[in-house]
Amino acid sequence: MVSSLAAPKLTTTFSSSTTLLFSKNLPLSLSNPFLSLPLNLTSSVTHLHCRSLSFCHRHRRGFVAASAEPDNGADSARKYDFDLFTIGAGSGGVRAARFAANFGASVAVCELPFSTISSETGGGVGGTCVLRGCVPKKLLVYASKYSHEFDESHGFGWKYDSEPKNDWSTLIANKNAELQRLTGIYKNILKNAGVSLIEGRGKIVDPHTVDVDGKLYSARNILISVGGRPFIPDIPGSEYAIDSDAALDLPSKPEKIAIIGGGYIALEFAGIFSGLTSEVHVFIRQKKVLRGFDEEIRDFVAEQMSVRGIEFHTEESPQAIIKVADGSLSLKTNRGTVDGFSHIMFATGRRPNTKNLGLEAMGVKLNKNGAIEVDEYSRTSVPSIWAVGDVTDRVNLTPVALMEGGALAKTIFHNEPTKPDYRAIPSAVFSQPPIGQVGLSEEQAVEQYGDVDIFTANFRPLKATLSGLPDRVFMKLVVCAKTNKVVGLHMCGEDSPEIVQGFAVAVKAGLTKADFDATVGIHPTAAEEFVTMRTPTRKIRSSPEGKTDSEVKAAAGV
Amino acid sequence: MARKMLIDGEITQTNEEEAHYDFDLFVIGAGSGGVRASRFSANYGAKVGICELPFHPISSEVIGGVGGTCVIRGCVPKKILVYGASLGGEIEDARSYGWEVNEKVDFNWQKLLHKKTDEILRLNGIYKRLLTNAGVKLFEGEGKLVGPNEVEVTQLDGTKLSYSAKHILIATGSRAQRPAIPGQEFAITSDEALSLEEFPKHAVVLGGGYIAVEFASIWRGMGATVELLFRKELPLRGFDDEMRAVVARNMEGRGVNLHPRTTITEVIKTEDGVKVTTDHGEEITADVVLFATGRAPNTKRLNLEAVGVELDKTGAVKVDEYSRTNIPNIWAVGDVTNRINLTPVALMEGTYFAKTVFGGQPSKPDYRDVPCAVFAIPPLSVVGLSEEQAIEQANGDISVFTSTFNPLKNTISGILLDSIKHRRQEKSVMKLVVDAETDKVLGASMCGPDAPEIMQGIAVALKCGATKAQLDSTVGIHPSAAEEFVTMRTETRRVSGSGKPKTNL
Repeated sequence: MVSSLAAPKLTTTFSSSTTLLFSKNLPLSLSNPFLSLPLNLTSSVTHLHCRSLSFCHRHRRGFVAASAEPDNGADSARKYDFDLFTIGAGSGGVRAARFAANFGASVAVCELPFSTISSETGGGVGGTCVLRGCVPKKLLVYASKYSHEFDESHGFGWKYDSEPKNDWSTLIANKNAELQRLTGIYKNILKNAGVSLIEGRGKIVDPHTVDVDGKLYSARNILISVGGRPFIPDIPGSEYAIDSDAALDLPSKPEKIAIIGGGYIALEFAGIFSGLTSEVHVFIRQKKVLRGFDEEIRDFVAEQMSVRGIEFHTEESPQAIIKVADGSLSLKTNRGTVDGFSHIMFATGRRPNTKNLGLEAMGVKLNKNGAIEVDEYSRTSVPSIWAVGDVTDRVNLTPVALMEGGALAKTIFHNEPTKPDYRAIPSAVFSQPPIGQVGLSEEQAVEQYGDVDIFTANFRPLKATLSGLPDRVFMKLVVCAKTNKVVGLHMCGEDSPEIVQGFAVAVKAGLTKADFDATVGIHPTAAEEFVTMRTPTRKIRSSPEGKTDSEVKAAAGV
Repeated sequence: MARKMLIDGEITQTNEEEAHYDFDLFVIGAGSGGVRASRFSANYGAKVGICELPFHPISSEVIGGVGGTCVIRGCVPKKILVYGASLGGEIEDARSYGWEVNEKVDFNWQKLLHKKTDEILRLNGIYKRLLTNAGVKLFEGEGKLVGPNEVEVTQLDGTKLSYSAKHILIATGSRAQRPAIPGQEFAITSDEALSLEEFPKHAVVLGGGYIAVEFASIWRGMGATVELLFRKELPLRGFDDEMRAVVARNMEGRGVNLHPRTTITEVIKTEDGVKVTTDHGEEITADVVLFATGRAPNTKRLNLEAVGVELDKTGAVKVDEYSRTNIPNIWAVGDVTNRINLTPVALMEGTYFAKTVFGGQPSKPDYRDVPCAVFAIPPLSVVGLSEEQAIEQANGDISVFTSTFNPLKNTISGILLDSIKHRRQEKSVMKLVVDAETDKVLGASMCGPDAPEIMQGIAVALKCGATKAQLDSTVGIHPSAAEEFVTMRTETRRVSGSGKPKTNL
């Protein structure tokens, strides 16, 4: 095939010596298949967070000059139990604790006992991502996607005597077995890093002391990484509603479910329950789903989900939930009442877990949403107290909490003040079909740059032409007309999250449309469309008059 | 728009001289490269004619079809079969997610094949329309050179047409070859394999290249017993050795019987099917024997000798960096030149040809960091250098980062371990080869679900000289497999350019 490639001699470098190296780099044995999950658990730090060295240097000087010592005037001779005490062992907390320990700090982390439903008294090592978010969600997405694959398989010659049915209890039992395993792995990872894990509820009693269920621990630095929790608005009957925690661990499958909210959580659960053959109604306050996303993506995903049988009720706000005599629930909205729900789920946002942590008494400033206010280094208004992850309500994504936790450990314990870089953070919505995106939406780009070229592709993928299903794929590049830089990249369709990751590297690196075009496609894939978009779908110009004028003048000059 | 024909050193012809050619460009072969070149040339204002053999799924000297190998006998039908075969495994896996699926799941090969042929016919029509819409005149028949500016097309009814053209482009592609093994006529090639009437319950595949690996995966995925025979220790010569081992392990894990260091000495037809004898003296009787041992450029019946177009020793048309043959107005793109035989490369060559000859911008195709994929199940995709190539080319140290992990999707199968045991063992492997001194990423590879889709974006970064630090500074998309490429923090090993591994043990 690749005729120009030289034929390398077959060596044995990949055999035993490699295996040894592998296991050396991993804290647990490779025979545990879970360990090597892409959860960012297994290695030590070499991340570079600065775009260039000069930037780092410049910044470091500024930091040292402008900031106090990390322990802010605490008696440096004073002995603390720990260099770092972390409250909350989710993505951000575990990352910060492990990395701090790797830098030589003595670290403790406290976490509530394991529970699939989060509360003031229930949590679990691993946090939202592992126990009540990304991981269980994605497992249920996999489970629910099979119904679509069964439909596809008919078009590819596969046949079964009866339609497959999903057994909810098997699915949930398998999922929970997985979560138990995961929380165990996380505990091991902390242990192997030399971090002391304390089970219980942590509360700050002074800038250097944490109380865990009555026992006091002193620490030079305290990190708050307690995350967020789903929020259900207070309407009559809201006690009958469930949130995403509960939705991931229901005793039985919903027959008919109302999902209130138009954000990514609402769309993901709509896809999950629809795929598992529940009747799904989504109620959104706005005209469209996914506020903040690219407008075309918003339209496209809603249309594709509708085609798959999800009913959207737009501009419809819930007012009350009524439990009917037969046990079913009715949802009263500003437009009327929809009856017969087995479940009503609120996906109306999440709130930082900042209550009962002793923050107000300590003078740790919160913003109006209750999130902890931090500076660019994740430091709160109290110099010895820091916060990362969802509790700071910056960009609420696991990899961002990891970035913040990693940067924090570097800042405090590696003498390398590091700001997390929030530019071009890619993200995904695991709706069905899923969305992947990085950079600016068309609307944001127009606002920021004025002159923007938009390239789009909207096509029926090869798989759908065979399966006969109405699936389509939408892709979009947003290019700054002046610099030719790709400032936004969006996709809705199968494999979008996987496809967008590599392009996120390109967007983050500031690559141009010409760079994309110079890359040869991988055929036949969906992803190759991103490097073969030749003609702009539209060119948006902020000042068409001015532009035309100068063009006319230039032409006249020729 | 004024027609431009600027080529280095060539003086633009006057309109008068141009007028006596029937076409500015005549293209022989309407596959990926030929269609692209003719469309783009027409867009630049050239008057373009193209000829192609009549359509049939199985190619020969006199059979082809608009769309070429990719659409009719390659990428597209192959990928359709890969989809079909992968779904078999998906249905199995569904059980661990609580789906109650019949014990007995049937697969209907004829149905899939029929739908595949429909799809190919549809695409064949689309390609024809593309040409028509671009104003390219399509002739059905066999084209050959008569002189440096003259092409003869023999139509289906035997009548011959003759046209003069200022430029001639050869884009006739290549065809699967059978090795000279006694009884080779009882074996099939990939052309026939994509159109078999009966599903082969037992198949022998000879070859270690990507075509062999893909067909072995396809048939195995559909339930056949598959023997894969190849000459080397591992399949996929030329790819990164570590990834070759991963592919071999995965194929074995999915039940393909691997026969390394094995070739076929004889094929005979028996009552039970086709019997092969290996060089180890082993005899295997199967329903089909597929020879996936290479392809050869289609240059035999083009009458190239008459005009003196030079060929290399493999029979490929020799071209310069602009795809020009030794005859200044005769050009060639795609597999017939045997450079990098991939559809997107033929497209690139076709595009650059049009730009050079009719766009007034002499442009060389750039063969650095061309990504590619092997649609094994699960697939392999690579861009840039393999570890071995990097070591060979490096002056300093090479830093290798690897990640081996169990895909999240496979982790839930704990309870039903036995039923899908083989699949649970299947790890995804990712690898980055980095120049230790400059931090530049020289190569990336992945074997695992979605690898080709994941690799495309990485290819953009690599092509533009991305450093490992730039990959690291990109935030992951969680939970995805792709995020591993931006979270590989610890070097797995460092190897010096001499090829001697420097372990940190």
